[in-house]
Amino acid sequence: MVGRSLRQIVWARLRRDRIAMICLIILILYYLIGIVGPVVGPALGLDPYAFDRKAISNTGGQPVLPNGGISADHPFGVEWGTGRDILSQLLWGLRISLVVATTATLLTVTVGVVIGIVAGYLGGWVDLVIGRFMDLVLAFPFILIVLALSNVLTDRITDLGVPKGNPSRIVYLIVVISAFGWPYLARIVRGQVISLREREFVEAAVAMGSSRRRILFTEILPNLWAPIIVYTTLLLPAYVGFEAALSFLGVGVIPPDTTFGAMLANSVNYFTKVPVYLFIPGSILAILVVAFNLLGDALRDALDPRVTR
Amino acid sequence: MPRSNAWLRRALVFGTTFALVLAACGGSTTPSPTTTVTQGPGDTPAPTEEVDHSGGTIYMLTAAEEFDDIDPQRAYTGEDLAFFGATIMRSLTSFIYDPDAGVANTLQGDLATDTGTASPDATSWSFTLRDGLTWEDGSELTCEDVKYGVSRTFANDVIVNGPTYAVQYLDIPSNPITDENDPKSGFLSAYYGPYDGTGQADFDKAVSCDGKTITFKLNQPVADFNYTVTLGFSPVPDPTGHPDLEDTVEQYTLRPWSNGPYKIDEYTQGNGGHLILVRNDAWDPASDPIRKAYPDVWQVDFGIDAKVMDQRLIASEGDDAFAIQYGSIQPENLSTIFTDPETPNADFAGRATSDFDPFARYYWIDTNKVSNEKHRQAMAVALDRDAIRANLGGDYAGALGDGVIKPNLGDQYAETGMWTDLFGQAVPDTGDPEFAKQLIADSGEPMPALTWDYPQTAVRDQEAAILVASFGLAGITVTPNPIPPGQYYGIVFDDEAAHEFGWAGWGPDWPNASTVIGPLFTDKGGWNLSRVHDEDFVQGVQDALAELNHAAQAKMWQDLNKLAMERVYVIPTTFGLSQTFGGTKVQPLYQWAPYGSWPYAEMYVTP
Repeated sequence: MVGRSLRQIVWARLRRDRIAMICLIILILYYLIGIVGPVVGPALGLDPYAFDRKAISNTGGQPVLPNGGISADHPFGVEWGTGRDILSQLLWGLRISLVVATTATLLTVTVGVVIGIVAGYLGGWVDLVIGRFMDLVLAFPFILIVLALSNVLTDRITDLGVPKGNPSRIVYLIVVISAFGWPYLARIVRGQVISLREREFVEAAVAMGSSRRRILFTEILPNLWAPIIVYTTLLLPAYVGFEAALSFLGVGVIPPDTTFGAMLANSVNYFTKVPVYLFIPGSILAILVVAFNLLGDALRDALDPRVTR
Repeated sequence: MPRSNAWLRRALVFGTTFALVLAACGGSTTPSPTTTVTQGPGDTPAPTEEVDHSGGTIYMLTAAEEFDDIDPQRAYTGEDLAFFGATIMRSLTSFIYDPDAGVANTLQGDLATDTGTASPDATSWSFTLRDGLTWEDGSELTCEDVKYGVSRTFANDVIVNGPTYAVQYLDIPSNPITDENDPKSGFLSAYYGPYDGTGQADFDKAVSCDGKTITFKLNQPVADFNYTVTLGFSPVPDPTGHPDLEDTVEQYTLRPWSNGPYKIDEYTQGNGGHLILVRNDAWDPASDPIRKAYPDVWQVDFGIDAKVMDQRLIASEGDDAFAIQYGSIQPENLSTIFTDPETPNADFAGRATSDFDPFARYYWIDTNKVSNEKHRQAMAVALDRDAIRANLGGDYAGALGDGVIKPNLGDQYAETGMWTDLFGQAVPDTGDPEFAKQLIADSGEPMPALTWDYPQTAVRDQEAAILVASFGLAGITVTPNPIPPGQYYGIVFDDEAAHEFGWAGWGPDWPNASTVIGPLFTDKGGWNLSRVHDEDFVQGVQDALAELNHAAQAKMWQDLNKLAMERVYVIPTTFGLSQTFGGTKVQPLYQWAPYGSWPYAEMYVTP
C-alpha cells in the first residue's frame, strides 16, 4: 500500500468534482487565449487598432448593422464611432486584464503571506507594529488615493526605466492594487500562524534548534497552503473586476489599447442603443469571475474534507 | 503666461457646447421692440393670438456645479454672458435677438442709446446712457458706475479670469515695475485698479464721464471697439455713490447687483444647488427695449448628470416641460431626437436645434518642438480627418475644417485651400500616408516621436486611437497623453509640461476674426498654444488690427488664416455643429448666434 501525498488526495477529490473541472478548463482556455490570441490574431485578420469607416454610420457614428454591427467580418460587432473590431479588442484586452490581475495577485499573496507569518509567529511588538500598519493601510481612502496619485506615480515608474505610456500604467495598476490588497490576506495568515505556533511540531523544531527562518517557511508555511490557495482563487477574479473598476474611473490603460474595464466603461454610454456592447464583455468577464469562484469553492472543499455541502 | 488665464473661459473647455440655429426651430420671428408682453399675429410660436406670455418659471439644467463667474468683469464663457446679459447684467451695447445669424450679430444700443460714436481715427469712443437706468435697490445707474466697472478689470490681483480688453486697448501706460520679484509687477498696466488706487489719474484721463456720456480714449485705432464693450465693460455700483453695497471685490461674483429685469434671490453652489432669479421691481421696461422678461422666475439646477438630463428632457414631464438644456445632447441620443442632422423628428419638432456652434476644433502644434514645417505638413496630411469626424458623430459633428476662421463669421471666412492645393497636391479626407512619408523624406530630418495631449473623455480616447492608427500608416509614432479636463489648459500652457501637439477649440469673442487670429497666433493675444513667433506673421496681425476699412481687414484675416494653415501652426479638424433641446412648454427654442446660446431675453413658457 502506497501512501498518498496531500497534493494527490486533493487532485483526486477535484477530479471527481465535475463543476471544478469545467471551471478549470475554462480558466485554462482564458489564459491560453490571453497568451496566444494577440500572437495568432493578426494572422486571422484581427487588428484591434484598425478602424473600419464603412461599418459605422455617417450620421452619428453608430454601427450600420444592427446589434452593434455583428457580421461575418466582425463576429462581436464594432465600436461606436470608430468601427474597431470588438472581438480583437477583447482578445488584446483580455491579455492586459489577466496580466494585471495575475501579477497583482501573486504580489499580494507573497507580501501578505510573508508579513502575516512574521507578525503571527514573532508576536509582541513586531505584531503590534505590523498590525497597526495594516489598520492604517486598510483605513486609507483607497480609490481616492489611486486616482490622485496616478499621474505622479506613473511618471515615477517611467523614470525608473519602465517604457512610457501603457507599460508604466500597467505597472502602476499592479502596484497600487497589491499595495492595498495584502493586509486582508496577512490578517488571515497571522491568525492561522498564531494557532499553529503553539502546536507540538513547532515546539519540537524549536527544541531541536531549528533556525527561525526554517521554522517559519518549512514547518509553518506548508500548513497554510489551504487557506492561501482558496484566498488566491477568490482574489484573482476580484482583481479582474477591480482592474475593470479602475479603468472605468480612468486610471487604467490609455488608448489605443483597451481592457475589459475600459470597454465596459465605454459601453455604458451606448447601453440604451446597443446593449450588446455591455453584454459581450460583461458576460465574458462574468464567466471568468464565476469560474474562478467555483474553482475556489471546490478547492476549499477538496483541501478541507470536514466541510461538506 | 499670466494673461492666458483671462482667455481660458472663452476657449472650448469641455468640448460640449451650444449650437446655433439656422433651421428647424419652430420658425419664430422676433417681436418688434415695441411689443412688450403680447405677441401680435404673425408670430408663429404663440399657440393662440394675443396671449400674455408673462409668468411661470423656466428651468435650466446643467451638469456644472456652479457658474464660473457672475461678475461683470469676470464672466467670459459665451453661455454665461448670454444668460446673465439677458437677465441681470446689461452692457453698453448688445446684440439683436433673431433666429437669423446675420441679423443677430448686428449690434444695438443697450445701456447706451446707440452703438457709440467714434472719433474719425477710431482712437476715441463715446457712449451716452439711456434715461431711467436703475440698480436693484432703486438707485440710479450713472456714468460713474460704468467707469467703476471698467476700472475693476485693472485690479487683476482680485478680478481674475475675465476678458482684459480694457487693459489692452485703453490709453494707459504699461506697468513701470518690471522686476519680477516685486509683487506689484503682476499688474497689467500702470493703473492698479480701484482697490489699490495707484495710477487713478491715468485711468481718469482714459475714461471720462460728462453727464450721461462716457468717453474711452484708446492707445490704438480699434474700429470695432463698440463690440469690445460687450465683454467686461458692464457697470458695477461705484461705492461712493452706493454706500449700501458692502463688497465689490472677490465676493461680488456670488451676489452681484442687478440692473436688468431679474435679480439673484438664491445661489447655492454644488451638486443639487440652484441659482434662482426673481423679478427686479426697480427695472424700468421703458429703459430697456431689448429684454422681454416674460417668466417670473429663472431657476438653474446644478450638478445634473448629462445622461439623466437628456432622459428628463426627452420625457418632458412635470416641471421638466419648462426646462432647457445648458449643454448639449449626448451623442447616443441624437438618433432618438433627430431624423437627420438638420431635422428633429416629429416628437421633437420645434424644441431641438442643430447648427454650427462658435468653435473651430483643431490640433495645435508647438512650432518650437516640431520646428520643421515639412514635418508639420506631414502630420496634417497623414491625419484621417474623415474618421475623426465620424467618431465625433459624422454629419452631426459638423464639417471638416480648413482653417481656424469658421464660415459663420461671414465675410471673414474664405477657403484656405489647405486640402486642395496648399501643399502642392490635394489631400483626401481620409489622409494620404504616402504623401506624408514623402514630405518627411523631403524634410531631410527624421520625424520626431510625438505625444498628443488631450482632455480625457471617452470620445476623445477613441479619437486618440484613430490618431495613432492613421499616423502609424505614415510611419509617425504618437503616444496619447490623456489629461483630466479641468487641468488641461493649465498643463498645455506650461512650456515644460506641454508636448508636441494637442487638442483645442476656439470661438471668437465677437464676430470679427481679430478675436481669432490674434489670440491663437500671437503671444499678446494670449492663446498661442502653437508658440508662433514668426515675425512676419506677428507683423501681419498688427497691420490687420490697425486696418479701419472692414472689407480690407477681412481680406487680411483671410490671408493670415491661409498662411497659418500653409505653415501648419494648427491642424484644423472640424467646424463644429452641436445639438441641444428643451422641454415642450418653453418657446422660442432657437440658437442665438452671438454666443451660440438660447435667446434668453425673449423666452417664455406656454400653458
